[in-house]
Parts: sequence; C-alpha cells; structure tokens
Amino acid sequence: MVLELQKPRPIWQIMFSTHHTDVGLLYLITSLAFMFMGGALALLLRVELFSPGVQLIADSMTYNRIFTVHGTTLIFLFILPSASAFGNYLVPIMVRYKDMAYPKLNAVAFWMIPPAGALIWLGFADFTWYAYPTYSVISAPGPAADMWIFGLKILGISSILGAINFVVTIMKCKHPDLPLSKMPLLAWSYLTSSLIILVAVPTFAAALLMLLTDRLGASGFFNPAMGGDPIAYQHLFWFTFHPEVYILVIPAIGFMYEIFPRFSRKPIFSHSSGVFAFTLLAIVGFSSWAHHMYASGMSFTEKTVFMVGTLAAVPASAMHVFNFLATMWGGRIKFATPIMWAVGGIALFFSAGAGGVVNAAMPLDFMSHDTYWVVGHFHLFVMGTILFGTVGFIYYFFPYVTGRMYNEVMGKVHFILSFIGTVLVFFTQHILGLFGMPRRIYDYPPIPEWVQMNIIISIGAFIIGIGMAIFLVNLIWSSAKGKPADMDDPFELGGKYYFPYQAKNPSH
Amino acid sequence: MKVIIGFGLVLALLIVLPSVQNVMAAGDTPGEYLDRKELIWGLFYRLMIVAFTVGTVVSGMIVWLVLRFRESNPKAKPTSYEAEGNW
Amino acid sequence: MKQKGIGKMSGHSNWPEWIYVAVVIALMCYVGAEAWNVERLIEHVPEDAKLITVTGQQWLWTFEHEDGTKEIGELHLEKGEAYRFEIHSKDVIHSFNIHEYTVLMDAVPGRVNHVWFSPNVAGEFDIQCREYCGLIHYNMRGTLFVEDKGA
Repeated sequence: MVLELQKPRPIWQIMFSTHHTDVGLLYLITSLAFMFMGGALALLLRVELFSPGVQLIADSMTYNRIFTVHGTTLIFLFILPSASAFGNYLVPIMVRYKDMAYPKLNAVAFWMIPPAGALIWLGFADFTWYAYPTYSVISAPGPAADMWIFGLKILGISSILGAINFVVTIMKCKHPDLPLSKMPLLAWSYLTSSLIILVAVPTFAAALLMLLTDRLGASGFFNPAMGGDPIAYQHLFWFTFHPEVYILVIPAIGFMYEIFPRFSRKPIFSHSSGVFAFTLLAIVGFSSWAHHMYASGMSFTEKTVFMVGTLAAVPASAMHVFNFLATMWGGRIKFATPIMWAVGGIALFFSAGAGGVVNAAMPLDFMSHDTYWVVGHFHLFVMGTILFGTVGFIYYFFPYVTGRMYNEVMGKVHFILSFIGTVLVFFTQHILGLFGMPRRIYDYPPIPEWVQMNIIISIGAFIIGIGMAIFLVNLIWSSAKGKPADMDDPFELGGKYYFPYQAKNPSH
Repeated sequence: MKVIIGFGLVLALLIVLPSVQNVMAAGDTPGEYLDRKELIWGLFYRLMIVAFTVGTVVSGMIVWLVLRFRESNPKAKPTSYEAEGNW
Repeated sequence: MKQKGIGKMSGHSNWPEWIYVAVVIALMCYVGAEAWNVERLIEHVPEDAKLITVTGQQWLWTFEHEDGTKEIGELHLEKGEAYRFEIHSKDVIHSFNIHEYTVLMDAVPGRVNHVWFSPNVAGEFDIQCREYCGLIHYNMRGTLFVEDKGA
C-alpha cells in the first residue's frame, strides 16, 4: 500500500502517478476534504433553522445556495469518490492483477473531479441538487446554474470512465484461476455498482445537455412556453438518480462484507446470497424511479407500477442484513472501531429501509412528500448506512495506508457521538415531517412543535459536528504520530489477511 | 392432495370475489364523502405497527448478537476457523 | 442448486434465509395491498364535488370558485361539502398543500392536476407550497377558512 508518511516522496510524484494505489489515495483525500466542507455547510443550515427568524444567514438566496451545494458536494464529491478510492486500492488486488485495466484513464477520471468541484463551489447554484425545470430553466440565476450544469456533466463523465475501468478490470484482467463466483463480495459490489452507473448515468448526462440548451433558449424540451414538459426532466433525472441510491449504497454494503467476517473471526455466512442480492438489487433498482414523482400528477396505474417496483427491491436489501447478522452469529467478535460503525450502519440501514417502504406506499405521499420526513429518510440512508460503512472502512484501512494505528478511544467516541447525533437529527426530522414542515425553507412560522423539534435537530447536528472534528484530529494526528501498526495483523485478530500490502507501488 | 388444493382454491375465490366487488363499490354514496385524512393516517398507523414490530425484532437481534458473541463474553469460545487463522 | 451445494460446504442450512425472505416478501405484499386499496378509495372523486381552480405563481396562491369569485392567499370553504381542486401553475413547479387535510398536489406549468377533499372540521388551516420554487418559497403560504354551512 502507500506508506507515504514513512517513506515520503515529493507530492508531484503522487499527483502525476497512474498507479492504482496513488490514484486511490488522491481519491480518498479529495473525498474526505469535500466531506468536511459539505458537513460544514450542513451546520450553517442548522444554525439558521435553530429557531424562527434570521439567525446567521442574511437572505433566503444564500440559504438556498448553501443547501444546494451541501447536497451536491456530499453526494457527488464525497460518496462517489470515496467509493472509487477503495475500489482503486482493492479491486486490482482482489482480482489479482497488477493495476487497474486502464491506468491513465483512471488518473484522468480522478483529475476530472477537482475542476468539477471548483465549478460547483465557485458557482454556488441555488436550484437544489435536482435542478427541476422550469425553475432551473426560467428562474435560476446564472452563471451559477450553468457552472453547476457543467460541473455535474464533468462528474458524470468521470464516473462513467471510472465504471468502465472497474468493469474491464474485473471481467478481463481477473486472474484465470479465480472464478467470478469466488471473487470477494467487495469486488462484486464494484462490479454491480459500475454496471448500474453505465446504464443509469448517460440518461442524466443527456438531461443536463437538454437543460443547458433550454437555459440558453435554443430549445424547449422542458419549457411549456416552448411546447416542452417539465415532467420529462423528472423522469430522466430519477431514472438516473434512483439507481444512483444503489450505486452509492452497494459499495458501502461491500465494505461491511469485508468488516463483519474479519472482526467476527469467521467467513461470510453465504457468499452466493450476497452475490445474488447485489445482482438482484442492480436489476430491480431500475424499476422504481418514479416513486419520487407521485405528487406530480401521475395516474393510479403508474403509481401502482412504481410502488410494486419499489417494494420489489426490499427483499434483496433484507438479504444483506440477514447475511451480516448470520455472519456475527457464532463468531468471537472483537469490537474495534470499524465493526462498531458497521453494526451501527445496519441498525440504521434497517430504519431507513423501513421508512422507505412507508414512503413507497402511495397514499402516504400526500402526507410526507417534500416534508422533513423525506429529508430524514434519505439522510438516514446516506449518513446512517453509506457514511457509517465508509467511515468504518476508513478506520479499517487506516493502518494499511499510513502504517500507523488510529487512536482507538477517539474512534469509539467518534462513533458514539455520530450514532447519537444521527438518531437525534434524522429520527426527529421524520416526526417533524409528519407535523408538515416543508423541505428547503429558509424560515418557518413559530409553530411550537416545529420550533422544539428544530432545536433538537440542531443540537444533534452539532453532536455529529463534534464527532467529525474528533475524526479529523484523529486522522491527522494518528497518521503523523500514531503507534506503528503491525502490518500483518493491525487489529490483533490472529488471522491471515489476504490483502495487507500486496500492492507494490513502483515508487517504493 | 389435488382435491384439497382445488377445494381450497374454489373456497378462496368464493371469499375473495365478493369482497373485491364490495371494495370496488365503496365510496359511491352521494352526499357522504370519504375522510381522506382518516384513511391516510389509518394506513400510516397500520404500517407503523408493522414497522415497529419488525424493528423491535431486528434491533433486539442485533443487541443480543453483539452482547452474546462479543470477545469479552464469558461464554465466548474461539471459532473453528481460528485454528488455521484463515477466514 | 448451486446455492444448496455451497450451503452444505460451509456447514449450515439455508432454510432460515429462505423463510426470512418469504416473510419479507409477505410483508411487502401486505404493504402493497393496503396502500393500493387506500389510494383507490381516495382517488375516487365524488360527482357532486365543487370545482376550485388553484393557480400557483411565484410566490402566491390564487383561488377561483365555481361562481367566479377570486381569492388571493385565502380560501373560504364550507364544512361538509366536497371540493375538487384543479391546479395550474403560471411559472415554475409549486406544490399545493393543506397538511391538516393531507391534500397535496404539484402545480406543474403546462399541466392541470387534480386532487379533492371534503373538510369536516371548521377552523383555520395553513396552506403552503411544498416544492422548491425560489426566493420566497419559504413564505409562499396561505390560509384555509372552513366555515359552517350557511354561516
């Protein structure tokens, strides 16, 4: 692996490297930087919503811009690159190949992210992360909106290139002695999520182009004044971004498939059921996109079709939970930081999933659509499941990258604070939604229940914020001054690891 | 066996068909309107009963697994894979 | 078949997982059937429902009654009657919402959407916009007044 801090190299050597571990390191550092930036924006939003009236943000336009960039950053600049980071490190090792299939393409895919991030952050658009027309066509101020469109365009190309690279590495460069059915589940998660990217993302790329020409006035795809239909954009958008949920969650589940057996000292309960569930999720994930649009005037038949499609994805997700619990059963579990995050992750994955089933039931949409219920639901998913899996894996991977151990006490405190904060914030947001508070509002009338719950949520958000500050300190301090790790068995579990630092970086 | 299944199917149809018809005809009385609030919240509460029941089972299971199979549990014993150190 | 083979190799039975998956599928069928039934009931618009034309624009609501009276930001209805909303938008997507009565429908430019309800409690209720529509989205609010018949 990349033991940069023990054998330092000039930074340009890493930046211009095409070796998979170097690119992985770049992905990891970039995504973490964007995670802290996006999280800081969330705290600003929570300060503003602490009570009715103006707190910190002077006008609603600034507030709207902040929540737009918060969402865009955390989804496209944190979760996607962090998944690519570990994929770069591990997929070549897991398929026993010397590097990714196309190393230069790999570096190109990474280097598209910083300019895209710059476009999004310098533009600071205000039309929310989904940019629905006709607001985004006739009302959103440029050049911020156009910069956002170009930024997302670049990110889309980047993830398509990355996905091609993963699929080719796995399908074509896999060692001939390793059948696909025996490939580790983490590599399977990259194969399935990359295939979803290849099918889903081009649709959004097309929608973005149409949105841009609409904004320029050259076309009217989504503008009813020119004969277009805004609902068409919603279909194109959600055809990409409901499967996107699975693109994001499948690698996080893959991380848990690494963590649970390792710390339970026992192989995964059923490899084949994991493979089956990944594949099923990748297919069924495409049958549910329009459940985001129940309120846009769909017919009863359309609603029914998409409700059934949504419910059909549940058994596959439930199979993963079964597999995790069955792996823990009969083990001798060492509760180091990574598995604590993973266990917390499945508990919250269940809650988010149950909320998702409730959302899929179409009449309930009249009550919960576009309220804080939805905000609570998907944050429980992206934070409670995806971020918990990812952060657990960052702790798990820390010794292999830096050669040093993270601080165990700080790691556990980080977990406890994050878990309490997540429950406090996102469960309360569900209830707030039932009381009818709409999303994306800068200010709200002083309804007593709303005020109380917003105070609880803001306190919870700051508990998460403290946890993340501890995380940052832990990462920086431990990578410089942490206790040197035993690279054969940093967690003192007593087993043989098949991928500690098999990847030889030619620069070392 | 076949007879029993066939009989069961016929019986099920005899129960299902009239109730479907009954359901289809609901809400047509003039002057009396359905209370959508009551219907929607009623559905919500029924689903919450299911969700919280299943949630109790799942989270109870997780807590039990964590407590029972933790390393420091007095009953913990090495798994069969630990001898080879390969899992 | 393959699944069974691997199950035997790793020394455990796969039956618990099959039963578990069956339970999950059964629960999903229950949820789907219940939701389908409720949706079907509430989508059935009574024939004698009175028409109210709702127009959303940045950032206010306009209501037009069947007899042509117009109201801005306020809507006066009678208790015990059924009302059918016809929802239009002049500029961007809005979402017409009376949370207390679980009435919600997007106002989409270029389309006409419908939703109906029958108020059964007199009083004042909030009307709000639930779809992000720009600068003053947070304050695109109105009030519904439900009055007793003949009042």
